[in-house]
Amino acid sequence: MFVILVYDVNEKRVAKALKKCRQYLTWVQNSVFEGNISEATLRRLILELEKVLDLSEDSVIIYKFQNTWYSERQIIGIEKNPVDFMT
Amino acid sequence: MKKDLYVFNSGFLRRKDNTIMFETDEGKKYFPVEEIESVFIFGEVDINKRFLEFMTEKNICVHFFNRYEYYVGTYYPREHYNSGIVILKQVEFYNDYNKRITIARSIVEGAVLNMLVVLRYYNSRGNMLKDEIETIERMLHNINSCDDVNTLMALEGNIREVYYKCFNKILDDENFTFIRRSKNPPLDKINALISFGNSLLYATTLGEIYQTQLDPRIGYLHSTNQRKFSLNLDISEIFKPIIVDRVIFSLVNKKVLGEKHFEKELNGIILNDQGKKLFVSEYNQKLYATITHPKLNTQVSYKRLIRMEAYKLQKLFLENIEYKPFVARW
Repeated sequence: MFVILVYDVNEKRVAKALKKCRQYLTWVQNSVFEGNISEATLRRLILELEKVLDLSEDSVIIYKFQNTWYSERQIIGIEKNPVDFMT
Repeated sequence: MKKDLYVFNSGFLRRKDNTIMFETDEGKKYFPVEEIESVFIFGEVDINKRFLEFMTEKNICVHFFNRYEYYVGTYYPREHYNSGIVILKQVEFYNDYNKRITIARSIVEGAVLNMLVVLRYYNSRGNMLKDEIETIERMLHNINSCDDVNTLMALEGNIREVYYKCFNKILDDENFTFIRRSKNPPLDKINALISFGNSLLYATTLGEIYQTQLDPRIGYLHSTNQRKFSLNLDISEIFKPIIVDRVIFSLVNKKVLGEKHFEKELNGIILNDQGKKLFVSEYNQKLYATITHPKLNTQVSYKRLIRMEAYKLQKLFLENIEYKPFVARW
């Protein structure tokens, strides 16, 4: 499953949220992550994020795609962090 | 499905914020540890114990290659799928010579059948491989009469010789002429590609075995000896033609790799960094390419097929279900 995760988290907790997300997904831009992740691992990420966040104040949106067929990733301007597992 | 991380640059690989960070002169890059299955290291990378501890915690194998692209070794974390009964059974199948030779024969048969699949495909595309196919088919019958592992390996070597000769017809490029198999060091470009591809596949297979309860030290075709791992060499045999060789054909025939991607080193020829990267990215695409599995009726990647091969062996050991090697359909 391919997911795009975006968050809007209070400054006090944003560093924690960033670190947590980095364990599971690839950072692409401030507040934006993407990556391939299994259903179960995503659940684990969500559970762990819930512990870090204040659910009455912070907001996280996860877009899920069963696959990336018929989708296109277009970048305008610079690519901040190319997603590549070869470095 | 989890991915593999390939590191070509030089830098510091460390544990940071409970994930993997690679630090170079150009900056830091984070990789999601939960989505990584194994790490392949080609560059001059510094690693500390904390990082290796972290790899153990997350059950990630770290494979090292030296600058001449030889396989150096693997940081194989403490087994996390432990099973005494599987090891006992594995040993039992090794010590009982009849059982061992049966497995060894199946492996060679699988490897040869997959070679034939590759040759038939190119024959149908007008590469005139009819004679070679017939020769190999004739030699295939001899497998069943082999009751000694050494003669079996020799037969496999002879078949592979005929098979590799076909590369000249498949690869229509004078720059990549195959004369004879040479390793340590490879003497020409085609041998460099074969060696590099095979060592990648050995590491990948080892990583897949790690995810099962099998012990990679006990092999059947490649005898168990002082060598650290041998089961991965066995399983890799089956997949070499359909993974490594196909990667070579597509890289050469599409003219992705050329003269400038090789360099002379140690009286031999090896791929340079850019060549390695091109090879690895094509190899990786192949591993994650999916086929419809004839029995399971779902999409399965080649990487998963390797793991399933290990499961099949485990089923043979535990439940005595006959082992049939994977044979590609085209």
